[in-house]
Amino acid sequence: MSPVSSSRSARPGPASSGPKTPGRRPWLTPGSKQTAFAWAILLPALLILAIFRFLPMLEAFYLSFTDYDLISPPRWVGLQNFIDLTQDPLFLKSVQVSLIYVSCSVIPVIPLSLGLAILFNRALLARNFLRSAIFMPVVMPAVVMAVVWTFMYQQDGVMNTILGWVGIDPVPWLRSSSTALWSVIMIGIWRAVPYYMVIFLAGLQAIPRDYYDAAKIDGAGSWATFRYITLPLLKPTMLLVVVMNVIVAMKVFAVPMIMTGGGPGDATRVLPLFIYQTAFEFFDMGKASAMSVVMFAILMAFAFIQVRLFTRKEEQ
Amino acid sequence: MITRRTMFGALAGTTLLTVPGLLRAFEFPSEPMTIQIWWHEFGPLTAYMNELIAAYQGLHPNIRIESVVVSSGDLNQKLTVALATGTGPHIIDNDASFFGLYYSKGLLDPLNLDVFGTADYQGIQDLYTPGGLDAATFDGKVYALPFQANSMSLFINNKEFAAAGLDPVADAPKTWEDMIALGPKLKITEGSRTVQKAFDFPYHSPRWELQLFQPLVEQFGGRLLAEDGVTVAANSEAAVKALTLWRDVTRVTGDPRTTMNVSSAPNQDFLDGRTAMWTTGPWATPQIHASAIGEDFTVVSYPQLDPQNPRTILYGFMWAVNSSKPDAEKAVAWDFIRFMLSKPEEWIAKVGFLQPLKGVAETEVAKNFPFFAVHMKDIETGSWYVRSEFTNEISQAIGRAIERTVYDDVDPQASLDQAQSEIERAIR
Repeated sequence: MSPVSSSRSARPGPASSGPKTPGRRPWLTPGSKQTAFAWAILLPALLILAIFRFLPMLEAFYLSFTDYDLISPPRWVGLQNFIDLTQDPLFLKSVQVSLIYVSCSVIPVIPLSLGLAILFNRALLARNFLRSAIFMPVVMPAVVMAVVWTFMYQQDGVMNTILGWVGIDPVPWLRSSSTALWSVIMIGIWRAVPYYMVIFLAGLQAIPRDYYDAAKIDGAGSWATFRYITLPLLKPTMLLVVVMNVIVAMKVFAVPMIMTGGGPGDATRVLPLFIYQTAFEFFDMGKASAMSVVMFAILMAFAFIQVRLFTRKEEQ
Repeated sequence: MITRRTMFGALAGTTLLTVPGLLRAFEFPSEPMTIQIWWHEFGPLTAYMNELIAAYQGLHPNIRIESVVVSSGDLNQKLTVALATGTGPHIIDNDASFFGLYYSKGLLDPLNLDVFGTADYQGIQDLYTPGGLDAATFDGKVYALPFQANSMSLFINNKEFAAAGLDPVADAPKTWEDMIALGPKLKITEGSRTVQKAFDFPYHSPRWELQLFQPLVEQFGGRLLAEDGVTVAANSEAAVKALTLWRDVTRVTGDPRTTMNVSSAPNQDFLDGRTAMWTTGPWATPQIHASAIGEDFTVVSYPQLDPQNPRTILYGFMWAVNSSKPDAEKAVAWDFIRFMLSKPEEWIAKVGFLQPLKGVAETEVAKNFPFFAVHMKDIETGSWYVRSEFTNEISQAIGRAIERTVYDDVDPQASLDQAQSEIERAIR
C-alpha cells in the first residue's frame, strides 16, 4: 500500500489516449518516484519503530508462551502462563486495582478538564498566566511529583494541615489500605486535568464562531448552546481524550511505585507495577509477558469499544 | 542457629584473610586490564570504596577499576538483568540471600584458592566465625565473601528516654513484654496525632519486614524456610504467634501510619526523633552520629521472648566474581576482593560494616566502636536471612501479610494462610 494516496492518478493508465513513446518504459514513473521518495523519508522512522517498538512487542508475545527467568534459556510452555493467571489472586487483584484506578481517574477528568477549557476559552484576567500555571503539573517529571506528594501526604504535610484548619483529624493518606488508592488516584486526576484541558481548548477553538452567533440570534441560552453546539462538535476531541486517558491511566506506574510500592498490602498494586515486580523482582519473564499481553488486550478492547460507541452515536 | 562464641576467642593478632603456608604463587598479570565493580549506594561505603580503588590502582598501575554505584532498591534488578545479558561487572555485590539463585544459574566463579594462598576452601572457612560463610558456601565450595554481616539491635534515643523519666540502660526492654510496658510511657500523642512513637517495626520495605519477622518466628520455636530452600511454613503456629505479637506491640508502641522511613532512608524516623526506639544494624552508627542525636544513644540487644534462648537475624552483603569473565580477569577480581577485605578494622571505623572474621572483636577499632559487643552478641545468636531462589516472593508475601494485619486488622492466621498460598503458588 502506498503512503501517498494521490500517486495512482499520476500513473499513466492503459486507457491513456496520449501518443505512445517507442522503446522501454522508464524504470520509475513520476508517480512511483513520488512513492519511493515518500518511503525513503518514512523508512528511518519505520525502522526505529520496528526495532524499538514492534520487535519487543513480538518478543513479549513469544515470551508469554515460555517459562523464562532471564538467566536460563526460555522454555516453551504453551498457554500455561495464561492459565496460571486466571487462577492467580494477586494478578486478579492487580487487574481490579488497575480498573478502579482507570475508572475513578478517567471519569472525573472529563468534566473537570472540559470545564476548565470552557473557562479559559473566555476572556479572563491574566488568562495566559493562569493557563500556564495550571499546566505546570504536566511538565513536572512523575518522579518529582511523586516525591513532592509523598511529603504533602505525610501526617504533618500540607494536606493534613489544611484538614486541621477545618477541624478534621489527620488522614493516613498513603498508610492505610482504605485511603492509599484514592490518594494515588487524586494525583492522577491532578496531573491529567490540565493536559486534557489543553486538548479540549484546542477543540473549542476549532468550532466556528458562526454557530454560536446563529444560536444567539435564535435565542439559545448557555446550556442549550453547550448541549447542541459545543458538545456535539467536541465529540472527536472527547473520543481522543477518553481513549488517551484510559491508556495513560492503565499504564500508570511511577507514582504508585515511588509513593507506596504497591502497598499497604496490595492496595495500590496496579497491573504495570505487578508486571514490573514479576519481571524484575521475581524474574518470571514468561508470566510477566503474559500479563503484558493481557493488559494489551484490555487496552485494545477499551479503545475498540470507545471508538465503536462514538462512531455509532455519530452515525445516529 | 549459628553460634559464634569463638568471635571473642583468642585469635587476636591474626593477620586477617591471610592464610599461612602459601601453596601456589599467584602470578599477577602485567598487561593492562579493566575490572568492573558495582556496589549498592551508601555514602560511607562509596567514600571508602573510592579510597580502596585508588590504593589498589596505585599498587597495580596496569589495573583500572571501573566502578558503578547503584541505588540499593534497584541493585538486584540491574545486576540480574546485566548478568543475564552478559553485561554484568566482574565483581558482584548483593544481599547474601540472592547468591543461592546466582549459584544455581552458574553465574558465580568459585573462590580462587591461588589468590588466597590456600589449598582448600576449609582454609578460608577457618578464617571466619562458625557459620560466617554459610550464605556463601554451596556444595562445599566458597563462592563469595561477606563485606558486612549485620544483625538488628535495638537503638534507643537517650533524650527521649530521659524525658519520660527512664534510664536507657536500666529500663531498656529485654523482652517483648518489657517493650509493651514501655509503650504508654514513651508514645506521645496529641489528639489523634502521634507525635512520638515508643517503638515501631519497619514498613518501608518487605525485606526489612522479614528481617524483623523471621527472628520473631524463631523466638516462638518456628522456622520460616526449611533447609531445602523451598519448603515454607509462613502460616505455622509460631508464625501466627509472631504476627499476633507484632500487631500487639505495634498497637501499644507504634503508629505505622506515620513514618518518613523509605528504602533509601530506612532510619529516618529514629534520626528525626519521631521514634524513641528503633531496630537497625551497626552500619547506622555513622548516620546517627551525623544526626541531631549525635552520640546520645544506647544500643541493646534485640528484644526476646526468652532472653535465655535468644534468636536474632543475620544478614549482609557479599562479593563474588562473575563466572563469565576471562580467567585472568577473574583472578585479578578475586585479588581485588582480597585486598578490599584485608583491613576489617577500617571497614568498621569508616563504614560501620562488620565482617564475620575471627579476631575482629579483638582489634582496637572494634573495641572503640560504640556498642560493638552488643552488635556482636546479636550476630552470634543470628540465623541467616531466608536464602532461597524465591527470597523476593517470600519477603513480599510476608510483608503483605504483616500489612494486612497491621493496617486492615485482618486476623493473623488468615493473613498468613494467604501468604502461604501465595508463596506456594510462586514456588510451584
